[in-house]
Amino acid sequence: MSFSEIAALTLHDVKNRLAQLAGRAEAAGDVETMRDAIAAADALTRLLVYYRAEIGSLGLNIDAHAPADLAAELLDGQAAGDTCRVELDCSRAPTLWFYDEALVRMVLANAVQNARRHARTHVRIEVAEGDDGLEFLVRDDGPGYPDTVLDHVGTATRVSRNGTGLGLRLGRRVAEMHENAGQRGQIRLANEGGAVFRLILPR
Amino acid sequence: MAILSPYRGKRILIIDDVAAMRTSIRSQVISLGIDQANVAADVRRALELLQSSRFDIILCDYYLGGSTDGQQFLEYLRTRKIISRAAVFVMITAEKRYASVITAAECMPDDYLLKPFTAETLRSRLDRLLEKKLRLARIDQLHDQGRWSEIIPLCDQIIAARDKFLVDALRVKGNALIMAGRFEQAIDFYRQALQMRSMPWAKLGLARAYQGSGDGEQAKRTLTDLVAETPRFLAAYDVLGRLHRDAGEVDEALNILDRACELSPNALARHRAIAACAEDVADFGRVEQAMSTVLQKTRNTPLRDVDDYARLGNAWTELGDAGKAIALITEARTSFKEAGETPFLAAVEAVAQHQAGNVELAQQALARAMQGSTQTMPEMVKLAVAKACLVQGRNDEAEQMLKDVLQNNPERPLLHAGISRMMQAHGDAARAESLIRSSHAEVIKINDDAVRKGQAGDFATASAMLRAAAERLPGNLQIVANAAYALFLDVFMNGVDAGKLHDASRFQQMLLASDRRHPKLREIAEIAAKVQQKFNLPVSS
Repeated sequence: MSFSEIAALTLHDVKNRLAQLAGRAEAAGDVETMRDAIAAADALTRLLVYYRAEIGSLGLNIDAHAPADLAAELLDGQAAGDTCRVELDCSRAPTLWFYDEALVRMVLANAVQNARRHARTHVRIEVAEGDDGLEFLVRDDGPGYPDTVLDHVGTATRVSRNGTGLGLRLGRRVAEMHENAGQRGQIRLANEGGAVFRLILPR
Repeated sequence: MAILSPYRGKRILIIDDVAAMRTSIRSQVISLGIDQANVAADVRRALELLQSSRFDIILCDYYLGGSTDGQQFLEYLRTRKIISRAAVFVMITAEKRYASVITAAECMPDDYLLKPFTAETLRSRLDRLLEKKLRLARIDQLHDQGRWSEIIPLCDQIIAARDKFLVDALRVKGNALIMAGRFEQAIDFYRQALQMRSMPWAKLGLARAYQGSGDGEQAKRTLTDLVAETPRFLAAYDVLGRLHRDAGEVDEALNILDRACELSPNALARHRAIAACAEDVADFGRVEQAMSTVLQKTRNTPLRDVDDYARLGNAWTELGDAGKAIALITEARTSFKEAGETPFLAAVEAVAQHQAGNVELAQQALARAMQGSTQTMPEMVKLAVAKACLVQGRNDEAEQMLKDVLQNNPERPLLHAGISRMMQAHGDAARAESLIRSSHAEVIKINDDAVRKGQAGDFATASAMLRAAAERLPGNLQIVANAAYALFLDVFMNGVDAGKLHDASRFQQMLLASDRRHPKLREIAEIAAKVQQKFNLPVSS
């Protein structure tokens, strides 16, 4: 068995256990533990996807999807007692766009997770069609990105706001893999009164 | 909020081999307001449930512990039409990889769900999927019934609305055009879709439309491009393999199917397709390899198929291992009980027992194989029974069956070579060539006799002769074409006869479906138009 196969089987097992943990927590109304278990599982998923991208075996499955539907999913997981509110504006979203929904979902979920961790009171998600293509924007009202992150988006040497920086690296990979008619997707980070994360997908 | 739930009354099936996962997902779906949640720990139990009642939603883990995975199970359910298109099928996976190879559209799940997930995530996804099923409900229903031309205007309505189901409607419409035999329209349609954007499904559709219109070369070129551009689009390999095989290019067919197997080694249908190609060129080592793989993956599961046992058994008799073949057939008998009593398996057993020197058992097996009518057997079975007859010296019966196969497939040199090989190995080498020649000559004679009758003014006899021949040889396009023409001409000369007109257009349609560019089509259309004018008949669509 290759390392990748062993990793996949182990991952399956660990994620099953995390799923059971999350399930038990959910049933007991322990939202905090449930979120942690799912966040841990998500990190494992990103790790494996990143590994596949690195060895060139991550296939893209581009199809037509409704960006507003995907964005609406990002609001899931909000609890009544949460101090941070997430709001969504899809008024300028196109009806359909072409992308790999599973990968884009993974990148955006990570961005929203990060924003919630650093936001003071709220996070805003905007979906709009612009000159460069489709833009998913995630804005928080926290302290913003440190300069090191702004300078080195997704490069191998830097570490993101916290954690390993895997999320950003993966995000950049996924964005770049989306290519159509000579245009490539990209991630743009900025501080505009808080951290602003943009995922732009070509037409 | 369960009272207001849109999930009330919906039936859901959860398939997972891990008990704790089943419990966890079950409590999640119950929290959504679904009150009828069944669980299955394995494919066998899931199949029992799916066969005994209708489910609206199926949540299936990709990894099911045993030798069958979720994708194989879904392909089985779809090809056997065990679940309706209205049912939502969601594949639960631990990683994204499984979603990255793309099989035929009809064998794709409606969605993939990465685990673990919250009840809320599950609800969001199911909401979306059910919204789509609701929008496409009528189309799905017609699709299940194969009413293709009625689907097309419904798709046009959605396309005109330009809502988020636009691309779904485009996909369904293209397929419906092909299934309805409207290939020229399908070609235009897919070309337009591809101008909007290069989409693999549209390119595959374009290739299928070319294939349907009789332009196999253009179809192959389109698919070869597609495979190069989108290497993970496995459906393209399968269609391309089929095209190569039909054109007698077995090496190319095997090559492309092997490449697809490297990307996705678990698709049973593809291993069967490889075996079929290898059978064409009598490469029974390859057949053994492919069918052993299929059996290894399906043995002791509900997905096992008695024909797979017969084909592997046949390969073993060809490779000279009668003992293995007999053991396998015995296993099939035990495993399938009455369902194992097929003419195909009995025919293979007859050959194997004969090889093993068990003359009496061989004769008994052949008698079982020939219990029913040999006329209506599928080609593969007919060939197997003919071979068993040859082995046991029942040459006349064998030749009658082989003649049928030959006359029904005048344009398949590989099949002719296979029959020739079979007769050389088990019968009389000299008879092989003469059978092929006489089969061919007989068809020509029927045709010529009928033409002579027609020239002599006896249109009724001419059309009756060709009509009978076309019924017997629906694969022989020359006969089918002439039968359609003769029947229309007969009606034109002798007056309206509903039965004759019905068969005339039936043969015309058969010809159209097999070869849009058949040279005789124009003549048939002309005489049909004359008939319609002369007798003032309503114009058929």
